[in-house]
Amino acid sequence: MTTLPTHAAPAEVTVIDTHARWPLLILLTAAIKWLILSGMLALISAIQLHSPAFLSDCAWLTHGRMAALSETAFVYGWAANAGLAIALWILGRLGGHPLRALNWVVVGTIFWNLGIAAGMVGIATGDMTSFALLQLPRYVQPLLVFAYAAIAISGVLAWSGRRRAVAYASQWYAVAALFLFPWLITAAQSVLLWTPVRGVVQAIGAGWYAQGVLALWLFPLALAAAYYVIPKVTGRALPSYEAAPLGFWTLIVVGTWTGGRQLVGGPVPAWIPTIAVVGGALLLFHFVICAINLQPVFTGRGTALRFFRFGLVAYVLAGVLALLTSFRGVALHTQFTFVDAALNQVSLYGAVSMMFFGAITYLVPRLTGRAWASPALLAGHAALVKLGVLISVGALVVAGLTQGGLLLDAKVTFPEIFDQVSVALLINTAAQFVLLGANLLLLVNFARTACVCGEPVPAAAPDLFRQPATVEAPAS
Amino acid sequence: MKNGPLFLFGLFLSVVITWSGVVLGSHLQLGGLAPFYDETESQAYPQRPLGTAARGQLVYADLGCAACHTQQVRRPDFGSDQARGWGERQSVARDYIFQARPQIGASRFGPDLANLGARKPAAPTADALYELLYAGSPTHPAYPFLFASDRVVGERSAHALKLSGAKAPPANREVVATERAQTLVAYLLNLNTGYDYPESRPLPAPAKPAAKEEAKK
Repeated sequence: MTTLPTHAAPAEVTVIDTHARWPLLILLTAAIKWLILSGMLALISAIQLHSPAFLSDCAWLTHGRMAALSETAFVYGWAANAGLAIALWILGRLGGHPLRALNWVVVGTIFWNLGIAAGMVGIATGDMTSFALLQLPRYVQPLLVFAYAAIAISGVLAWSGRRRAVAYASQWYAVAALFLFPWLITAAQSVLLWTPVRGVVQAIGAGWYAQGVLALWLFPLALAAAYYVIPKVTGRALPSYEAAPLGFWTLIVVGTWTGGRQLVGGPVPAWIPTIAVVGGALLLFHFVICAINLQPVFTGRGTALRFFRFGLVAYVLAGVLALLTSFRGVALHTQFTFVDAALNQVSLYGAVSMMFFGAITYLVPRLTGRAWASPALLAGHAALVKLGVLISVGALVVAGLTQGGLLLDAKVTFPEIFDQVSVALLINTAAQFVLLGANLLLLVNFARTACVCGEPVPAAAPDLFRQPATVEAPAS
Repeated sequence: MKNGPLFLFGLFLSVVITWSGVVLGSHLQLGGLAPFYDETESQAYPQRPLGTAARGQLVYADLGCAACHTQQVRRPDFGSDQARGWGERQSVARDYIFQARPQIGASRFGPDLANLGARKPAAPTADALYELLYAGSPTHPAYPFLFASDRVVGERSAHALKLSGAKAPPANREVVATERAQTLVAYLLNLNTGYDYPESRPLPAPAKPAAKEEAKK
């Protein structure tokens, strides 16, 4: 892609974007709908923490199922659909040809979302597997593998048939996420659900999978977006780009060894939590390289870039905190508390989702050929969603540290701990409410932008297209 | 990374290696773990759970009790698990070998339940558990859907709850534990890590050098 730099905004939208418009918009629509649903479920689940009686007298709505449902909707509904849309779009653009096999993408999207919906009903009626991040009942899981592969094939084809021999960092990350997830979930479901291993080996396998979901799937998807959008928006080449392969392979090779970090002190061999500490320390190389590579994010302006800025800080923070809490001395105070929930919130919402929001902010105008329908809604969503994440992480950390301190004192009873943390949990509920409201703004704005994209581009070049439409390749 | 197949193979290989290392490695180490046969008692531990208790674990799992309760006691010098009376010893891998889906959990918003059925000085009674599940408490949700409210016809049901005060049903009605509630309570009371395996005893403190020298003399 060595087209001449042009300043006419609509020229940035090429046939590559228009060709992929509808399949990717379907993916994004599904993603945002699941995001809203998971926000509602997370709100109910947050309320139940400080008011246990809330909606609990219906079997569908007990806290355990609510927590599993909101997590599932968030990861497999929102993050999967959004991440796939972003990865396919990036691979198409960097590949230099319009995406192929888009009918497979549409079929895969339909079956993926039907599978998730069936799985959600399954969880609500009592078929949850009780493994974190793998709560979907086993009868939908084979379907999910095939649906995912059908979507991913388009991205892998775009990569293998790319116009230039060189592949860029965002392509490595996107292809890794597309290619690895089916293997990851197949390996996990075979040893956990179809032919379950014995006793605590299940807990070890579940930890391995939960870490794999982050390190081999969601983190690479988020980084693919960051490595593509940041140089495009800032117009600067990435510094120390030659270190990027090291960062990439560190994440892929070491990432899943840290799965046992929550099992410190548990009934597992001591090498499991120990190797998690070693892996977590090695992963710091990856986080440092990402921070150096992506540091131009701190120079430019714009909503998309601000999302990536927030996401990058949260990403590095998530890596450091994951290492810290895997140490035995720290785990003594944080294990089994809301600090774990806060850490999940930092990596899933603060890092991954923020980078996805940034990418969506950037790609939707290019995909639809129109600017965002309402800049005010866009700014409102950005401000509220960041506020919500900050408050919720802060409240959960305070609740977790209070809880951790009180748990260590055997004289403090559980009702006393409950009273001590309930204010922080109330604040967390408020934060979930803010997040839900923020995402409703995104839904409205997205719907208004996407529903009219058949119409011609407005004459006045919108503000959102002002980024330099320079050559795509050298900068990413 | 110009070579496509090699790149994909490298990705695949890294997943295979960590899967083999973490999952297969621990499976090879723990998968063959057998019950421990105590010759003085002529009895193997852990004992297989009764059928009702094994079914109760499914109820425990499908309600997501693990969202707030762990089932793993850590060793005495790590946390207050022992001081809270959750167990005399740490949980070990052998405790879980007969559990279809161990619920070791990751959050302690509620107490640990690994040894609920053998708590000292006293384990909760079945009646107390039924009452907690039916009526809840300020810190525990109620699960009334695990119970049925029936009209008393003839004799009272053997599974009727002994409720008093405001929770008690009218005189001609009774609250009966459904099969799910019965299996769940059977499971909870069957949770027992009372037997002390060789590997669950704390390692003896290393002998001090002075003591060693005295021993030599």
